[in-house]
Amino acid sequence: MSAVTQAAPARRGLSRESVQFAWRVAAALAVCIALSLLSDAFLTTNNLLNVLRQTALLFLMASGLTLVILTAGLDLSVGANIGLSACLAAIIIKSTGSPWLGVATGVGCGAAVGLLNGVLVTALRVPAFVATYGMMWLILGATYFYMGGETVHGFPPSFRQFGSGYFLGVPIPIYMMLLFLMLGTLFAQRTVWGQQIYAIGANPVAARLSGIPVERRLVLVYVVSGAMAGLASLILLARVNSAEADIGEHFTLPAIAAVVIGGTSLFGGSGTIVGTLIGALILTLVVNGMNLLQINASWQPLVTGVIILFAVWFDIRARKSGN
Amino acid sequence: MSTRGAIATGTFIARVPGVAVALVLLIAAFSLANPNFATLSNLQNILIQSTILLLLALPMTLIIMTEGLDLSMGAVLTLASIALAVTVIATGSTALGLAAALCVGLGFGLLNGALVAALDIPPFIATLGTLGIAQGLSLVATDGQSVVGIPRGLQQVYGGTFAGVPIPILIGIVAFAAVWLLLYRTRFGGYIFALGGNREALKLAGVGDRAVLIATYAVGGAMAGFAALLMTARMNSAHPTAGIGLEFDAIAAVAVGGTSFERGNGWLTGTLLGVLVVGVLRNGLNLMAVPSSAQVAGIGALVIAALLIDGLRSRP
Amino acid sequence: MNVAPEAVAQRDRIAPLFELRGISKQFPGVQALDDVSFEIARGEVHMLLGENGAGKSTLMKVLCGAYRADAGELFHNGERAEIATPADARRFGIAVIFQEFTLVPYLDIAQNIFLGREPCSRVPGFVDRKRLYADARRMLEKIGFDIDPHTPVHQLGVAQQQLVEIAKALSQDARILVMDEPTAALSDRETERLFAIIAQLKKNGVAIVYISHRLAEVFALGDRITVLRDGRKIASVRPAETSPDDLVRLMVGRAVDRTYAREYCKEPGDVLLEVKNLASDNGIADIGLTVRAGEIVGLCGLVGSGRTEVARAIFGADRVTAGEIRLMGESIAGSPEDSARRGMALIPENRKQQGLALGRSVGDNIVLASLHRMFPSGIFVPARAAKAAQAGIEQLRIATPSPHRPVSVLSGGNQQKVVIAKWLNAAARVFIFDEPTRGIDVGAKAEIFRLIDQLVQKGAGVLMISSEQTEIVHVCDRAYVMRAGRIVGALARDELTEANIVRLGMHQ
Repeated sequence: MSAVTQAAPARRGLSRESVQFAWRVAAALAVCIALSLLSDAFLTTNNLLNVLRQTALLFLMASGLTLVILTAGLDLSVGANIGLSACLAAIIIKSTGSPWLGVATGVGCGAAVGLLNGVLVTALRVPAFVATYGMMWLILGATYFYMGGETVHGFPPSFRQFGSGYFLGVPIPIYMMLLFLMLGTLFAQRTVWGQQIYAIGANPVAARLSGIPVERRLVLVYVVSGAMAGLASLILLARVNSAEADIGEHFTLPAIAAVVIGGTSLFGGSGTIVGTLIGALILTLVVNGMNLLQINASWQPLVTGVIILFAVWFDIRARKSGN
Repeated sequence: MSTRGAIATGTFIARVPGVAVALVLLIAAFSLANPNFATLSNLQNILIQSTILLLLALPMTLIIMTEGLDLSMGAVLTLASIALAVTVIATGSTALGLAAALCVGLGFGLLNGALVAALDIPPFIATLGTLGIAQGLSLVATDGQSVVGIPRGLQQVYGGTFAGVPIPILIGIVAFAAVWLLLYRTRFGGYIFALGGNREALKLAGVGDRAVLIATYAVGGAMAGFAALLMTARMNSAHPTAGIGLEFDAIAAVAVGGTSFERGNGWLTGTLLGVLVVGVLRNGLNLMAVPSSAQVAGIGALVIAALLIDGLRSRP
Repeated sequence: MNVAPEAVAQRDRIAPLFELRGISKQFPGVQALDDVSFEIARGEVHMLLGENGAGKSTLMKVLCGAYRADAGELFHNGERAEIATPADARRFGIAVIFQEFTLVPYLDIAQNIFLGREPCSRVPGFVDRKRLYADARRMLEKIGFDIDPHTPVHQLGVAQQQLVEIAKALSQDARILVMDEPTAALSDRETERLFAIIAQLKKNGVAIVYISHRLAEVFALGDRITVLRDGRKIASVRPAETSPDDLVRLMVGRAVDRTYAREYCKEPGDVLLEVKNLASDNGIADIGLTVRAGEIVGLCGLVGSGRTEVARAIFGADRVTAGEIRLMGESIAGSPEDSARRGMALIPENRKQQGLALGRSVGDNIVLASLHRMFPSGIFVPARAAKAAQAGIEQLRIATPSPHRPVSVLSGGNQQKVVIAKWLNAAARVFIFDEPTRGIDVGAKAEIFRLIDQLVQKGAGVLMISSEQTEIVHVCDRAYVMRAGRIVGALARDELTEANIVRLGMHQ
């Protein structure tokens, strides 16, 4: 009958996060089952690979954004960033013929935009969504101006492998998805920076008073988010084989949705990269389902909007009752 | 000691030059760059074209004063214009069409308000969601096509004059006066200041702060509905992507006009000047053959500059 | 201003305007009020004195309906009264002037005074501005405040805003006005004006309950003085019957209550922290102090005297405008990152909002300040972090079954231990504690002090801010006393008594 506090074995058991993750996986499975029942075309190899490819693309866009949202920030300029990076990369590839230069341009441009966002967010006395909202239009407009309404198309096959190529029967974007899933999770869970980012999201004041350089880390997450957007833009470019100014515009809302559905709280401090992957999967499945069932594509923004609202509402309710 | 308007204008003197200077500079710059700019007819055009934006920016000012934001205004405007067009074509009555547009606007305004005030969803996400909903409804209702075949009469609303003054300008004047009275002369207006400045004070005074917040978003929705009348009359059609992005112009106008995002301070005249700044900028760039899609870059730069200046100014 | 004895006797025979009788209130671990009775008479200024934590604000909160008493009764004009909510209190004409003003910055004075009760014109919803400003002018005249009611409140200084709050209370027909340290932020001239207004209010029969630490005011303004100590009413006297020294003794004298016995430092070691001429943009100036290894140095003074601001300035959390800080001999840059890296720790007053990441686990919090130190390569190894956390848990006897529990479920005392563990893990040598035992029940307090003692025995230096003079007197080797943003005295071990602290800290 010892009342001594003994060190409990380091077994987590079923933490809240694990339960929530399980729910999300279950939701994804449920959608899959429903779709396979509703449509014969769902379970075909072609369709499934398509779904995975789309998921991979959305995930890459949303993975860096996850880090930003973990700090209770937001980046509304993701779509515009994708557009600018894709267009710049496209032009470089066409003019130099080198895919790798194009890749460097795309990622570099994305990171530069991220840097601008990060500096603005830490310098302005407005919330992140306002700063990135202004940036979004600035970049969008600049891209339109730069492109002059034209489209760039026709890229070398070596580049197009990125988006439409296969390796061992699996589309290359899926490898990238797995790669960055691993890298992202390692970064978030296994680096000092990652731990600091979670702390900043949980309580930026306490983080600062514990010696964490909050401003520098914030700039870091925006740079990473921008770079990932840049990378995603390359995959997109490789798939559609053409670039125009608004190529990324329709991705902002789904990217945010993927993060939020994946369980990352808009208020910061909790969430995972793999959650974003599941979120991207669920969203892609829903859209895929709508396409297969021949529901008018015009319904998609509406459905995305409703899903975001529900996901945020759940998050807020959970916070109120759990804490 | 009696403190008179001397000190009161002090703070505003620091602000008036900001947006007024910007306006003067822009007009000067465009006049130099393009001889077609400084003509009387073009300037009148700017005023007329800015009316729609004014109708959005005025309630946006109120919403931003409550530390909120309404990203769905453009999409709601679009949907309202579709509702209006369809109704006018079906019934032949402009009045009924306006009623339909107002219903749509008010409905979304109340939805936004409910999401923000009752469910505590952050305004930008709530209105981002309703943006998607409104946009989706617009696309579905029209199948991506324009709604055409609107009776001639509607165009009069935009192109006609009354007592020699273009009707849109009259509407703009009335709208400005109405919102001005609402904000500065009613109890409700005072409560809007309180929502952003010291919400606790409002609760302590026993006022239903949630109701005031919902009403603020409702006003925004209703005015977007009214603006749909002007937009549909102007284009003589309704297109599912017509108003997209106008909310950004509205937010830009408010920001440039000096209303702060976090202090519960609102300046309607500033918003009016901000609307003119945006209007001049767009008109000038149009004359320079800069495509509309690219013009937003300039406006984006303006917004960021305005926010930076505001941030620097409030550091002691 | 003292009232003639005959008038006093006359007034005592009729029921007081308001009376609290036998009020008791308990919070977890502490008896805030114990059988306190308090009378409020018309047209009288009743001074409420007591040290921090004596129960003054709790008593006032019971009066204004923010708290419900566990025991005791309330009487209004001799009849039983119930105050369950702030609205009830308002109905009895009780108004409190809070420290945080309830004013809307960008509305003008008149709009603020009548917020929610604006006079309406014939057009529904529209404000009758003529009446609004006329009414406001009348309120302002009542208190002799000559200012244009059209002035926006954000342009007013603190003193003027306070007057607006008073006008606001009066406009609600306040018969009892509670003022908590009203002159804390006022200049002498503004204080004079406030006193004139209070005199005016008295003539109109308004009763004023006035909480103050300034003995000069107590005697200048008070008609009656009540002293609380440790939740009990010690005395209720007229100014003529007492003296400042008496009051101090009443406020402070208590059975010596040793919560923690400690061996004081006989031979302090090297100077760990040295501060000279420190000033920050938060109102402190000319701050000089030293902390040596093995010492617990106290920093005391009344609430608002600037102690937390000193702590934050030294740690680098606030911007330093003048002066020098030397940590272990080296001049430091003045940022939390730098201070933490060099071995300085700050355990903030508000641990939930500033010291802990509540959404994270105990283990996460313990390693929060030492991430780079433990993992210089940048790679975070959870097992090693968990081990360090477990070591911290055992060393400080934090009551949690594992490091993975969220820190939010721990008790106040254990949460404080987590914050301390965080800095121990960061190899800090200078610890700045701001109210280390706030919100911690009596049992755990002793343990916190034991921990602090262990720190200095191992060679650390501690600067401890506390509002509880007993703590300072029993735990510290020496102490500095602050008042109005400056250090007004240093007390060595043999001079360290509560009376001395109170005497130095209060306005004379």
